[in-house]
Amino acid sequence: MIGSLFKGLGTTLKYLFKKPVTVEYPEVKRPVRERFRGRHQLKRFENGMERCIGCALCAAACPADAILVVAAENDPHKPNSPGERYAARYEINMLRCIYCGYCEDACPTNAIVLEHQYELSFYERAGSIFTKTELLVAPDQGHGEIPPILQHMNRRPSPPAQIDL
Amino acid sequence: MPDVSVTIDGTQINVPVGTNVVDAARLAGVAVPVFCYHPKMKPVGMCRMCLVEVYTPKVDPATRQVVMGEDGKPVLALMMNKLQTGCTTPISEGMVVNTASDRVKFAQKGVLEFLLTSHPLDCPVCDKGGECPLQNLTMQWGPDSSRFDYEDKIHFEKPIPLGDLILLDRERCILCSRCVRFEDELADDNVLGFGSRGRSWEIISKSTPAFDSKFSGNTTDICPVGALTSSDFRFKARVWELKSTPSVCNLCPVGCNTSLDMRYNELMRVMPRENDAVNEIWVCDKGRYGHRYAVQENRLTTPLIKRNGEFVSATWEQAYSLIAERLGSYSGAQVAGLAGPKLPNEDLFSFARLFRENLGSNNLDHRPGSPADLPLDDLPRTYGVGKGTNLMTLGKGTAVLVIGADPEEEAPLYQLRLRAIAQRGGDLTVVSGYPTKLERSATRKVRVKPGTEAQFALALVQAVAAEKLASEEVLGSGRLKFSDEYRRVLAAHKFDDLVAATGLAREVVITTAKAFASAEHGIIVYGRSAAADPAIPQALAAFAALTGKLGKANSGLIALRPGGNFRGALDMGVRPDAAGQPGLSAQQVWQQAGTGVKAVYIAALNPAAENPAAAQALQKLDFVVVQDLFLTETAQYADVVLPAAAVIEREGTFTNAERREQRFRQARQAPANLPADWQSFQAVAQLLAERAPVAVAARTLKKGAKVFTPEAPQGWTAMLTSDVNDMVTRSVSGYNAASYSALSTSRGAWGRQPNEAVYYDGTSYENTEGVGIQIAASAEDSRTTLQLNLSAPALRPVGELVLLPVARAYDGGDWVRGSKLSARQVPAHIIMSVADTARLDVGIGELVTVSSAAGSITLPVQIETGLDLGVALLPEVRGSTLGALLTGAQTAITVVKA
Repeated sequence: MIGSLFKGLGTTLKYLFKKPVTVEYPEVKRPVRERFRGRHQLKRFENGMERCIGCALCAAACPADAILVVAAENDPHKPNSPGERYAARYEINMLRCIYCGYCEDACPTNAIVLEHQYELSFYERAGSIFTKTELLVAPDQGHGEIPPILQHMNRRPSPPAQIDL
Repeated sequence: MPDVSVTIDGTQINVPVGTNVVDAARLAGVAVPVFCYHPKMKPVGMCRMCLVEVYTPKVDPATRQVVMGEDGKPVLALMMNKLQTGCTTPISEGMVVNTASDRVKFAQKGVLEFLLTSHPLDCPVCDKGGECPLQNLTMQWGPDSSRFDYEDKIHFEKPIPLGDLILLDRERCILCSRCVRFEDELADDNVLGFGSRGRSWEIISKSTPAFDSKFSGNTTDICPVGALTSSDFRFKARVWELKSTPSVCNLCPVGCNTSLDMRYNELMRVMPRENDAVNEIWVCDKGRYGHRYAVQENRLTTPLIKRNGEFVSATWEQAYSLIAERLGSYSGAQVAGLAGPKLPNEDLFSFARLFRENLGSNNLDHRPGSPADLPLDDLPRTYGVGKGTNLMTLGKGTAVLVIGADPEEEAPLYQLRLRAIAQRGGDLTVVSGYPTKLERSATRKVRVKPGTEAQFALALVQAVAAEKLASEEVLGSGRLKFSDEYRRVLAAHKFDDLVAATGLAREVVITTAKAFASAEHGIIVYGRSAAADPAIPQALAAFAALTGKLGKANSGLIALRPGGNFRGALDMGVRPDAAGQPGLSAQQVWQQAGTGVKAVYIAALNPAAENPAAAQALQKLDFVVVQDLFLTETAQYADVVLPAAAVIEREGTFTNAERREQRFRQARQAPANLPADWQSFQAVAQLLAERAPVAVAARTLKKGAKVFTPEAPQGWTAMLTSDVNDMVTRSVSGYNAASYSALSTSRGAWGRQPNEAVYYDGTSYENTEGVGIQIAASAEDSRTTLQLNLSAPALRPVGELVLLPVARAYDGGDWVRGSKLSARQVPAHIIMSVADTARLDVGIGELVTVSSAAGSITLPVQIETGLDLGVALLPEVRGSTLGALLTGAQTAITVVKA
């Protein structure tokens, strides 16, 4: 009986001299795993074009019905995205979202990516709805070339079924 | 037709001679994939998707006998020793078809792989994605991968406009020619064709303006890929996001079944809903693109009361009590009610009740009161096509007589349906005073002198007697009673004089009469020009009755009058003569405005827009209530303006030209929770009833009631539209079986119509929500005696030119608001013959001043080559201020160059 008591206190004593595993959040933030699924971002191509073509397949795949996409036609002289169509409205309700990542899987242009931001708290419910302006990355943060098929064609191209990163 | 026995994938079935392999397989429950074949059109075998193995019994060339094998069964030979396209191969006795052999599967995979070599696979941005036959067939029959290099695909510029309504994406097109064939074969608009050759082969528009067809939207439905998409629905929504609500179009008397595709309370598109007795699987462009008015920003949302010449917003209580107070302060004869024929039956019924029971007035009408108003004519109620009429089933043995009508303009779907009867071997006679499109499809085109349709109709009645064409059965039954006037008119108008007046040879009239009398089914369709003279419907009814074409399915009259629910307006009693002492018609209301009539309640009508006399009359009235969706020209003269819910925001029923009552549902929440029209009528009636009990008025009315039998002392206690409908079924004769639940039944176990055309379609909707109920014509009751009457044809006015008003589909009404069709809207113009324009030295588009005894207006000229000298046509479009010019059904005018 006494023996078990000292055994327990011994464990406590041992950890007093070890480096603590907890961190002082929010001053210190632990890095997340590479495949962590946090808040979504809408990506761009290197040249600043939006990858999202407004196909709403993410909304169709979403098990929580958290995504709203309303598409519109690109102005041929000032297109937002390659092809005819872009998302005029793109909204995700972060309270509904279960961060399953099905939207990523469904996306034919790899436009939507669940990134590493996890600090999602709101003072009101309306604040949980992230609009396109909040989701879309800055124009200089684009990556990946528009596939050659889209670049070389002297036309208003249609996006192919899959665009690689 | 005799049946032949065939075996399809081991199932032996009997199918009628002439059936092709694809249809036969469908009857056997075997699906053969198709792209270009469509059951409504002739097969062409362009896509090669329906390749099947067809074996026929071997025939010995010497003896012409079927060769028998050792087992006693016929020896089978593969037809042509290769696969056959199922759609172009008619079945024959003893045929054996394999649709799932390895050889067939290999061919199907090959066809799909080949079709996909030039397909961009841009399904994510394609409007057809989700309801695309190419997607579906590839999933079920296609290969899992392609040997074709993606980078090698041929690319074209993305959508090019094929017209202002339809966009063509040439990359996606598989050149099945369904659209070309639909326009050529069914719509009779030779507007599409093929251009170029080889890899550049493409669909082009041949007409100016491009794709000039009133049925163009249907090509997007039957397009098996996303090549043709509608500019109205472009990128609006993905199809799986849409929620469909069954509805009925009220823009013309066809009553097409539609499906309102909604996303979050917003109207995304209007699609046809299958109903073989009404619209088959089609809908015209007006019905498809003409329903955006309901979602316009400038809809009225609060009641307005005019104070010191300015409209100010008011509460519903204020508006209703003001209306009840003012209307109640006049005697019944001093108030009048006008309700438009586009309102549903429930509203029209409540409106008639409000006036008859609560205000004690018979001054009710559904016409705008213009001099061009058609006289009331309720003959189709007695002599109309019988219960069970289905034009889709008619062909050989059917005679259709179209007289004084331009179906494409008045009720566009009749163009397709009547043309199809002629194509199936029916006899289609088109009698008209001026060129109409249906003439081109007619088996007998009869061009009478303009304005002599009445003489032609009377000549038909005379021909019955002269050629002994009368039906023994009908004459023997003793049901027909002839008025003195009937005998007098027949005696006064000799056959030869009548024929001479029409400018025809007598043989034409006699063969027409004989063809109609000898046919098994006889249908008479008469429209605007014929209804303008009461003598014509009377003569046509007599002709139909004498030849025995009455009181049975597929025989009788079909009237095409303005207004989608004109039939409902007549049945519900929104007409001056429905009960008791006839009241004032709309025309008389305007004439007596300020003297006899003090107050008018106008719902869903805009008489001031076309008729300056009505605008002046409105100013003379003490009190005007206008109930409408928008602040219309008429509403400007109102003392109280009440907004109302649009058709898509409420439920109700419409009755079409063939007296089929059909139910539509609520698709959308009305802005500001606006009430339906009947709710406003009820609110006013409730306030009036509080002021003065009305049992007396109702009782006196019941005595002489013909159509309308008010239920006294029934209160105004309806909570739902179905409560009003219950009242309609109890009080309107013929409607007793048309309850909401009965209207909602579709035939078949799953509501599938007998023609399973939907099977081959990308986007035609199966009807599961009710095909409606046809109200029986009174001649169907064999105990009714039929009083035949005739009257002398209206005298033709004498003048330099005779002006005839003609109907136009794109008439510039409120439905144009927000519609893509507003671009197709032509401004008011006058149509003249080549000779007359040459005499006046005016060209197309030049202005002329048209004067009549009533007034004069200046209009641009259009020239019609087929038109007779001395006749001018005035299309009824908004802005033509017809009322300023017309003196009656035909108007004598003089025209000078402006």
